[in-house]
Amino acid sequence: MLQRFLDPKVLGGISGLDLVAKTVVDGFVAGLHRSPDFGFSQEFAEYRAYTPGDDLRHVDWNVYARTEKMFLKRYRGETNCQLTILLDMSRSMKFGSHGTEKIEYARFLAACLAYLAHGQRDAAGIVIFDDDVRNFVRPSTRQGQLPRILHAIESARIGTRTDFALPFRHVQEFHRRRGIVATISDFWDSPEKIIKTVEPLRFRGTELILFHLLDPEELRPKLKHPVLLEDLETGDTLEVSPDYAAHEYPAKIQAHCEDIKARARAAGIDYFLIDTSRPLDDALREYLAIRKGKQ
Amino acid sequence: MGFLAPWFLAGVAAVGLPIWIHLLKRHKTDPRLFPSLMFFEQREMSSVKHRRLEHLLLLALRVAMLILLALLFANPFLKRTPLAADGKKILVIAVDRSFSMRAADHLSQAKNASLSLIAGMKPGDQAQVLALGGQVQALTQLISDPAELRVAVESIQPSDSRASFGELARYVRTLSESTHLPLEVHLASDLQKSALPPGFADLRLNPSTTLVFHQIGQIAANFAVENVVAPQRIFDPKKVRVQATIASFGKPEAKPVTVKKNVSLVLNNKVLQTKTVEIAAGGRAQVEFLGLDAPYGFSRGEVRVDGADMLPADDRFYFATERTDPRKVLFIDAGRHPRAQLYYRAALDSSGDSAFQMEVMRPEIANNQEFSHYAFVVLDDIGTVTSTLEDALKKYVYAGGSVLIALGPASAAQPRVPVMDESIETASYAGREGDRFLNVSEIDAGHPAMRSVERFTGVKFYQAIHVTPAKSRVLARLNDQTPLVLERKMGEGKVLVFTSTFDNVTNDLPLHASWVPFVERSAAYLAGSGAEQPVNLVVDSYVELRTADSKSAAAEVLDPDGKRLLSLEEATTAKNFAVNKEGFFELKTASGRHTLLAAHADRRESDLSVIPQETLDLWRATGSDQNAPGASGSENQDKKPWPLWPWLLLLLLIVAMAESLVADRHLRPAADRPEIRKEAA
Repeated sequence: MLQRFLDPKVLGGISGLDLVAKTVVDGFVAGLHRSPDFGFSQEFAEYRAYTPGDDLRHVDWNVYARTEKMFLKRYRGETNCQLTILLDMSRSMKFGSHGTEKIEYARFLAACLAYLAHGQRDAAGIVIFDDDVRNFVRPSTRQGQLPRILHAIESARIGTRTDFALPFRHVQEFHRRRGIVATISDFWDSPEKIIKTVEPLRFRGTELILFHLLDPEELRPKLKHPVLLEDLETGDTLEVSPDYAAHEYPAKIQAHCEDIKARARAAGIDYFLIDTSRPLDDALREYLAIRKGKQ
Repeated sequence: MGFLAPWFLAGVAAVGLPIWIHLLKRHKTDPRLFPSLMFFEQREMSSVKHRRLEHLLLLALRVAMLILLALLFANPFLKRTPLAADGKKILVIAVDRSFSMRAADHLSQAKNASLSLIAGMKPGDQAQVLALGGQVQALTQLISDPAELRVAVESIQPSDSRASFGELARYVRTLSESTHLPLEVHLASDLQKSALPPGFADLRLNPSTTLVFHQIGQIAANFAVENVVAPQRIFDPKKVRVQATIASFGKPEAKPVTVKKNVSLVLNNKVLQTKTVEIAAGGRAQVEFLGLDAPYGFSRGEVRVDGADMLPADDRFYFATERTDPRKVLFIDAGRHPRAQLYYRAALDSSGDSAFQMEVMRPEIANNQEFSHYAFVVLDDIGTVTSTLEDALKKYVYAGGSVLIALGPASAAQPRVPVMDESIETASYAGREGDRFLNVSEIDAGHPAMRSVERFTGVKFYQAIHVTPAKSRVLARLNDQTPLVLERKMGEGKVLVFTSTFDNVTNDLPLHASWVPFVERSAAYLAGSGAEQPVNLVVDSYVELRTADSKSAAAEVLDPDGKRLLSLEEATTAKNFAVNKEGFFELKTASGRHTLLAAHADRRESDLSVIPQETLDLWRATGSDQNAPGASGSENQDKKPWPLWPWLLLLLLIVAMAESLVADRHLRPAADRPEIRKEAA
C-alpha cells in the first residue's frame, strides 16, 4: 500500500528539497531556523513546576526522585508545525483524460505532503471531504501516524459534490494551533466563495496552501464535433460546440484560475495550479522552490 | 427519352428525407462526462452550426439512391433506331392454300406472285415462305437462298382447311418480336372475307411491319352443297330421310336470277336419286331424299350438285352412314311390375328409327345368359340379384356393355345397388293422397341421356330409393335431394340407375311426355360405346381415339387415300387426330370400335367474297403509320423504345453498396473506429 503512494521516483525528487516554513512562527524543516515557540522536540530547554492538567508523560521522574517535586522537562523544538491536508473527494475529481484521474493525482500529492511532514517529524493530519467530512485523521506525530494517513487516503471513496464550508468549519474547530492547511481540490466553485470560506483560518495565523488540480482537458478541451457534456456532480447536460470549447471556454477557465489566484494572494494564501498531465515530482519541486524563494 | 410510368417521379420528393436527417438531425449521442459545466453555455449558434450538412458524401449517395429508385419505378426509355435502320429487312411470303384457293388456278397464281417476289430479292436479303391454311406453316427458316425459297413455294399444295388471317397476324407478330427487324409481309391470297378473325384486334401487326397484298382471283358465282343431314345409323332403309342444303354464293345480281341445278344422292359411288332444285342467286335451297337403300355395314354417301363453277370442290358433300339391324335389349324382370315392361317396350318401339328390339327374361334364366350381343341390359327392380348374374353383368359392363337399373320396393330392402355397388340408404316415400309427391328439382341437361326430357315437367314421384352417390355421378335429383338418375362408368361400360320404377305405381312418369324421350335418349346413350362421336366432320376437327382407360390398346386411322395416318407409337399413345382433308376416314378406336368418318371442307370457304379495301387498308395500317395511306415516314416511327431500367438497377446497386461502405465508416459506434481509439489513447 505504501509503495503505491510513496513512489521512489517521486520521493527521490522531493526528499532533496526541504519544506521550509514561510512564516516566522512555524517552519517545515528542522534545523534551518529556530522556532520562537517550544515544541515537541529532543533538545532540553528548561524545567517548570507541574501544575494539574499537565501531561504526566513530560514529568521528569529523576528530578522527582531526588526532590520529590514534580517538574516538567521542556524542550526546544526544532519543528512544531502541524500540517493538515484537506483532500477533496467530490465526484468532479474522478475525471481524467490521459489515464490519470485527478483523484489519483490528488492522492499522490497528499501522500507526498504527509510523508514530507512525517520526515520532518511534523504533526500531520488529513481531512477527506466532499460536501461533508468523510474521514478525519487528527494531526499528530505519534508513531504510526503516517500509515494512518495513508490508509485514510487509500480508503477514501468518491463522494458527491464539493462544499468547502463544512470541512473548513470542522478544521477550524480542531485547528487551534498555527500550522499549515493544504487543500487539494479542483475548486469548481466561485473564487469569491472559496476564498471567503478558507480565509478565516488565515486570520488565526495558519498558513493556507491551495493546490488547484485541473486536467488538461479541463483547461483546453479538444472537441472535434458538437458533443453533449454531462456534469459529473450535478448530472446536468449541455450541448457544446467545438468552437466554443476551443475559444471561449479556455479564456473563461483561465480567468477563473486567475481570479482564485488573485483573491488568494490578496488574502495571503498560497495558490498553486497543477496540471495533472505534469509529473507530480516536477510540480511539487517547483512549488517547494517557489515557497523557498518566498522566504 | 420518355417514361412509361411518369407519376412515379413524384417519389423524387423523398430526397427531402435524407436531407432532413442530415441537416436537422440532433447530435444526441451518448453524453460525455465532464467535471463541471460551470463555464459552458447553451449557445444558439452552436445548435445552428450543428445543422450543417454532415457527411456530404453519405448524403449525396442517399439522395442518389432515392432519385434512382424513383426513376426506376418511372421506367424511363430512350427512343432508339432499330438495328436495321440501314434498310435491312426480312421478306415474309405467305401463300394462301386454303380450300377456296382450289378455285380455278388461284393457287398457281399465288405461287407465281411469290416466285416473282423471290426473283426480285437482292443478294443478302433474308426471306421466309409461309403456307397459310387453318394453321401457319413455315416452309423455310429465315434464309437468303432464292433457290430454296423457290422450291418451298413450288412445293405448296392446296389444302381443305379454312384460311385464318388471324393466325397469320399472330405468327408475324411473334416473328417481329424475335427478330427485332422490320418485316415486309407479302400475302398472296384470294383475301376471302370469311378468313378474317372475329375481332379486328387479332389482325394487329407490330410496328415496322409492312403488309403487301397480292390479291388472286375475282368475285364469282359459286354453288356449293352447304350441308347434308343423314342418319348416322340406318335400321330401316325405307324410313331414312337425307336432307341437303344447296347454297349459291357470289356477287348479287341486279335482278334475282334463279338457276336450276340437279342434285344427286350418291351412295358408294352409285347414284341413287337425282332431283332438280331452283336456287336464287345468293340464296339457298333444300333437297330431301326419301329412303336410302344402303347395304349392311358402313356406306360412303355423297350429295352432288351438277354444273360447273369456279370452285368444283365444294359441289359435293360427303357423309357416312351405317346400316345395321335393330339391336337387342334384354329386359330382366322378376314379374313384380308387369306394366313396366309394357311401358318400356312401347317407348322403345315409338322411337323414329326402330333401333332396338326388346327381349324380356326372368332373372333365373338370365343367370346363364351371354350378354355381349345385347345393346344393353335393363334390371327392373329384381330385388336380390344372384352373384352369378351380378358377376356376369359386371364382366359385361367392364367389357363395354351397359346396364340400366330401375329400383323399386324390392330394392329398398337391399343393402346396395347390384352391379353399381352403391349403398342403398332408405326409401323416400310420399303419400299419394293430399298431393304429397316429389318433383325433379335438379337435372344435368347436358348429359346425352337427359336431353329432351324437359326436366320431367309435371311428373310426380311417390317413392324413390335413396342411393348414396359415392362413386357415381348424379344426373337428376328430386326436390328432397334424393338422387333420381345416377351414372357410374365401370371399365369400358356404364351403369345407369333410375331410383324409381318404370311403371305408374311409384311415379307417373310413363304417363307423361318425358317418358319416351327419356327411354329413347338413355337407350341410345347406353347402346353407344363410350361417348358418341359425330361421323360427319369439318376438316381440321379432332377425333378422339382413346379415353384415359384404354391406354395400351392400339388405334388405327386410314385416310381417304387408304394410307395409315398414325405411326406405331402414335397408334398406342395418340389420344386424337386432326382430320386434315376432305373424304372418308376409316377409324378404329382403342376401344375396338370401327367407324367411318366423312370429312368435308368448311363451307365458309365457298363464299369467295373479298375483304373490302378499307378493311385491308386498316389492317395494313396496324403495322406502321408509314404504310398508312397518305402518311409519310418519319424518324420517330422508325424508333423503338429502349428501356433504361436494367442500367438504372445496376447503378442503384452500385450506389447502395457505396452508401453501405460510407455509412459504415461514418456511423460505426465510436468505440469501434480506429481514429477515435487513437484519439482516446
